Order: sequence, then structure tokens, then C-alpha cells
Amino acid sequence: MAMAPDPDAALMLRVKQGDTGAFAVLVDKYKQPILNLAGRMLRDATEAEDLAQAVFVQVFKSAGRYEVSAKFSTWLFTIARNLCLNEIRRRSRHPVDSMDTPHPEQEDQPLHQFEDKQTASPPERLLHGELEQKIEQALAGLPENQRLAILLCRQDELSYEEIARVLGCTLSATKSLIHRGRETLKQQLKPYLQTGDWHESN
Amino acid sequence: MTNDPIYNELREASWQRKLTNAEEAQLRTWLAAHPEAKADWEAEAGLNTALGGLPNVPIPSNFTARVLQAVEREAAAEQRRPPSNWASWLRVRWLPRVALTATVVCVGVGSCLLMQDAHNKRLGEGVAVVSTVPSLPGPEILKDFDAIRASNPTSAADEQLLAVLQ
Repeated sequence: MAMAPDPDAALMLRVKQGDTGAFAVLVDKYKQPILNLAGRMLRDATEAEDLAQAVFVQVFKSAGRYEVSAKFSTWLFTIARNLCLNEIRRRSRHPVDSMDTPHPEQEDQPLHQFEDKQTASPPERLLHGELEQKIEQALAGLPENQRLAILLCRQDELSYEEIARVLGCTLSATKSLIHRGRETLKQQLKPYLQTGDWHESN
Repeated sequence: MTNDPIYNELREASWQRKLTNAEEAQLRTWLAAHPEAKADWEAEAGLNTALGGLPNVPIPSNFTARVLQAVEREAAAEQRRPPSNWASWLRVRWLPRVALTATVVCVGVGSCLLMQDAHNKRLGEGVAVVSTVPSLPGPEILKDFDAIRASNPTSAADEQLLAVLQ
């Protein structure tokens, strides 16, 4: 069965020819899904914005090498996945000092001093209510590959085969990642699921 | 947890999208026949709703403009990079490697030549030794060798043969 032509691939081929208008169309279409993915993988709104921007810059820089071998969205989310995982691994190699770490010379002063602002922490800006907070926390507690698989599963543009391509694993391994991640979420959110707070009758 | 293929297929479809009317009817029929799976399905459906209800991460209103500006900066930085000409390319990247390779090759070739020279010298010395030996008699002197040997059972050297050879 022939694959339906991908309109985004056609736009990307125009970007390859230097059409920045076509590039802006692609950015407008995918900025929300990419930012959603980055936001829930990195758990920091500012870093997520920077990373989402870096994803699109990388897309533009790679336009010259773009070939229509797969859907544009598969290629785009593969770039996003690589940058997210790179950032997560960079953080694990260079952990941030605790805010309570004392100054080496002035023990009564913290090492890092920050202006006291009455603003919500970045993850909480994204949340509405306790229920959303619980699922955000549960998602954040998943291993990165399960979290990524579940988040990609929510993208309308990607089939399971395309998700497997983004993750770089087989179809069965992809479904297994999603299944295991969901089982963990169901266990952690059991009280909320049982009360029917999120129940939607079919 | 059931491994029924019909249930698994419908469950996996529900992970990504709302089930169609036909799929929902199929699921209801299946659950009626497998009431033990009802609790699991309710948990799946609840989680689907919860994940689907997650709010979008807020996007700055000027996000696209910022991306385009970042792309322009990248393009400008690329243009500002000094053009790579052949001479600087050679000097910076390849000349040290070529020099090292040439040195290794010269040392290797020189070593081979020295070894060959020493070998030739030894060969020459050997030839010089051999050249002092008078020419050897032809093989016809050995035509009676078997008879002579048979007639002389001792292992002592054959004086006559030695004298001929000398």
C-alpha cells in the first residue's frame, strides 16, 4: 500500500531550498507537541523552551541533508528525543549543588544565594490542581525511556511503528515500554482511578 | 492481567486515541464474556483520560520569532567563519600528519637499506671464502664409489678419495 504523501515532508523540502516561510509553518505546527515533550522530560519550563528552540534550529541546520525516507514528524521527534536524552545525561554528569550547600569560607551563608521571589516553581506553573500534579509526579518518576514512550504515544502524528523508529527499538519493545510505564502509573494513581475522578465511561 | 489478543489490540488502540463505535461495541461484548477484566479496563480508561487531560506546556507568544532569530544568528555565524583556503587547510590539519608519516617511512626505508647492506656484505665475505677453494673435480670420480666403499668395510676415511678431492 502506497504511503500517503506527507505535507510536512513537502514543506521540509522547501526549507531545504531556503524557504524560511515553510520553516515557520512547520515551527508553528509542531512547537506545542515538542514543548510538551521537552517540558515533561526535563521538568523545567525554561530549559524546555531552550531545548524546543534547539530542536527547530537543528531541523533548519540539517535541512540540506533531509531526505524523504520517513514522515517528517518521525524525524522531528527523533531529534527532540536525542536532545532531551543528551540534556538528561548532561545533568546526571553535572549535578546541580543543593541550595543548602554551605559556603566553604562562611559557614553561616549558603554557597548559592538567590533573590527571594514569590513565584511558583516551574513544574507547578504547568499544573492545575492536585490530580494533574499527581500524574505529573508519577510521570516524572518513570524511567526516561518509559516516560518518553508514553509521551510519544499521546502524539496524534505518530503510529506505534513510528514511535519505535523514534525510540530506536522494535515494535514489541516499544509496546512493552508503554505497557510497563502505564502499569506503574496505574499503581501509583490507583486511588484516583478508583474514585473515578478520571473515569470516562465508554 | 489478560493476554487475550482482542483485548490487547483494543487496549493498545485506546492508548493513542478514542475507540471507534465499532471498537467500543466489540469491547463491551468481550468484557461481558470476561468480567474479571473489567477492573483492569476501568483503570486503563481512567489513565487514558488522565493522560489526555494533561495541560499543554505554555508557549511564549514569540516562540516562532525567537526560533527564526536563532536560525538567522546561526547562518550569520556560519558566514563569518573564515573561508578555508587550501594553504591554511594544509598547514593546520594535514602538514603535521604528512611530516610524521614521511619521517616514519624514511626511518623504515633507511633501516631496510642498512639491513640489506649488511646482508650483502656478509654474502660477499662468504663468496670471498669460497673463491679461494680450488675447483672441485667432476662427478666422474664417484663412478666407482660404491665398489670402493663395499671393499673397505671400515668406517675410516678413504685416504685415496680425500687425496683426489684435494
